Amino acid sequence: MEQEGALTGLKVLDVAGTIASGYCGKLFADHGADVVNVEPPDGGFPTRREPPFIPGVAAPESSALHAYLSTNKHSVALAVESEPERLAALAEGCAVVLDAGRFDCGDFSTAAPDVVVSTITWFGRHGPYAGFNGSGSVCWSLVGMVRNVGPEEGPPLVPAGCGAEIVGGLTAYIGTLGQVVARRMGNTGGPVRLDTSIHEANLCFTEVGGVGGYRSGRRGKRLGINRFAPTYPLGVYACADGWLGVTALTPRQWKNFCLLLAMDPYADEPAYQTAIGRLMDYDTLEPIIRQRALKRSAAELVDRGQALRIPLAPVPTMEELFGVDQYVARGAFAEIQCDGVAFQAPVTPFRLFANPAARGGRVAKLGESNAERLA
Amino acid sequence: MSRPGLLAGLRVVDLSMGWAGPLAARHLADMGADVIKVEGCVRFDWWRGWEATQEWIDDHGAEKNPAFNMVNRNKRDLTLDLSSPAGSDLLKRLVAISDVVVENYSAGVLPKLGLDYDVLSKVNPSLVMISMPAFGTSGPWSSYRAYGSTVEQASGLPHLSGEADYPPTMVHVALGDSVGGLNGAAALLTALYNKHRTGQGQYLDLSQSEGLFPLGAEGILAQAVNGEPPERLGNRSTRHAPHGVYPCVGEDEWIAICIRSEDEWKAFAAFAEVDGFGHVDDRLGRVEELDRAVADFTSGQVAEVLMLELQQRGIAAGHVSSGLELGTDPHLVARGFWKLMERDHVGVLPHPAPPYRVGEEPFDIDRPAPTLGQHSREVLTELLGLTDAEVDDLEHRGIVGTKPRLDS
Repeated sequence: MEQEGALTGLKVLDVAGTIASGYCGKLFADHGADVVNVEPPDGGFPTRREPPFIPGVAAPESSALHAYLSTNKHSVALAVESEPERLAALAEGCAVVLDAGRFDCGDFSTAAPDVVVSTITWFGRHGPYAGFNGSGSVCWSLVGMVRNVGPEEGPPLVPAGCGAEIVGGLTAYIGTLGQVVARRMGNTGGPVRLDTSIHEANLCFTEVGGVGGYRSGRRGKRLGINRFAPTYPLGVYACADGWLGVTALTPRQWKNFCLLLAMDPYADEPAYQTAIGRLMDYDTLEPIIRQRALKRSAAELVDRGQALRIPLAPVPTMEELFGVDQYVARGAFAEIQCDGVAFQAPVTPFRLFANPAARGGRVAKLGESNAERLA
Repeated sequence: MSRPGLLAGLRVVDLSMGWAGPLAARHLADMGADVIKVEGCVRFDWWRGWEATQEWIDDHGAEKNPAFNMVNRNKRDLTLDLSSPAGSDLLKRLVAISDVVVENYSAGVLPKLGLDYDVLSKVNPSLVMISMPAFGTSGPWSSYRAYGSTVEQASGLPHLSGEADYPPTMVHVALGDSVGGLNGAAALLTALYNKHRTGQGQYLDLSQSEGLFPLGAEGILAQAVNGEPPERLGNRSTRHAPHGVYPCVGEDEWIAICIRSEDEWKAFAAFAEVDGFGHVDDRLGRVEELDRAVADFTSGQVAEVLMLELQQRGIAAGHVSSGLELGTDPHLVARGFWKLMERDHVGVLPHPAPPYRVGEEPFDIDRPAPTLGQHSREVLTELLGLTDAEVDDLEHRGIVGTKPRLDS
């Protein structure tokens, strides 16, 4: 018998159509909530125009990113600005409305008296940057995520992809579900507008640096590609057959790392018993590590290194990722069905054993549920 | 003001250490749950310090790490030697009257202590318990040692960032940790909703490395649908131009600019007096020339001022901030994001507000991180009904305490 999703019975509307709201809604949908994308009739959500695109599939169904964000959801095409009554009817009994700043509780509270209107914006609804135009690169630059990444001489490097929006959506899920759980516990009630700032959500990466800067009064320094204070060795090293990820933090890990790479003379050097001490002598140690790693197999170094309790891992390419034993064994990827085409995508990273999340799933076409939901 | 009571009445036993697990529990604490952090005097949270010496202990080093203090605010702290029968028994008694257990020990540690889910769920059948090791609780890597950096490496994401000729490029010293913490909080709230709906507790398993896949979704999906990964373009974009990080006046000063429409481009070109470039296809085709022209303009500008000028014209721009500047960022200051709190051994430290709020004010923070064992007596007497004499005896036997001890 199929197990019921943990969030069965919850109804969620997404009227925002952003990557952040899409990921937040995806977590609700994959755990059994009834999630409806309420999309503009002329082309649907903006996420439908985000790459990568599925070869052979026509717009507006062709975005693989939109498909990934929309598994197990419904789609209604509705001009929400001009048809507020139909939107309110759609919101009947809703627990959550995901919004990007257009709506307030009053738009839904008659139909949904305990609604959480969860507004997810780049910089929040208040403050000097509230009206700013955001992007992932701008957000990550402002939170200090970018400054210490990339070559020493610059420019600082922005991480690829839409991670800032995903972190915003994940954070909004926490805040929103906290409100929903609180209602279930009887700790609060009534409509509420929750405000999640993607900018503040991404400060989770750098809040420690913010406090460090407050204490030291110093700006951090960019050290170069794959170099991050205060840990060394930490990075990605070329091996004979692939890439090796290395982190050796504690004195014991350093000693064992030296044993692994036949660097015995360096194992007990007093200056190298702290991570920062080793980092200070990067120019001595780095060429030795690189040269020795290059002659060895990454897989063999990971096996032997992990036996010595050193945090080592392979660094799989995108092509290798789907075949990594660990991810295959755990079923980390599952099939998405989008307009007759199937492809693999990541599943929800947390597993509820009694109420497992949906694995993969089908993607609704734009307006597919109009007849059912707007009747 | 005090922290919200959204999760008032919920008790959480936080056995986790480092960044990810404690951050997951912090979200519950920030919403009003009673989070009791359980550490040992020998097996204390390694984020207090991983290079312990007696000198460090005597200097209260275990209380000074700002990172530890940040992720453990709003919690209480109980010390228990879980390897002793008395410590193990007391933990079971605490779990029996709690709702949630959070743990991120290496695989095998809790079973060896006789404190895994199978045991604890017999003590408390409606328990929600999460294990959040780097690679999850199953599979050939389940017992691998890992940090947040290892998690990033193993996720494959370093193959997506950087220029084409860079090695796989990491973007953080411990990327997996904070995302792992967020996923942990999300998992717990999902299961708690179900528990309050059905009365059923359960075991949760989080793989921190899988938790990073959504951040690289574009690259993973490109591989899945096209059979090849996206091109590595550094700070550039396949669709937008200009899209990059450009130099400004001063040492190591930069601004990120992202122009996504022709209207934005026209506004930028007029303001920056950059001529000779056409529609986005033309700009993308001559992107190196374009980037040089943009950099020529920005290199005479002050980053923070230029950000405001561009944003006034509707252009996405942000100066490249450092940790030092986060504390004085006018937006964060105006939103009351940082709360200054005094704590023993460290003085006044800023604490970040939860990133979700109701209204203009952030959720308040009740108290800074606890010192080691700060609430042991309070928890043991008030919640578990021990007498002061019994707590004295536990202290005498080294099962509880307030000072770290080196592993002998």
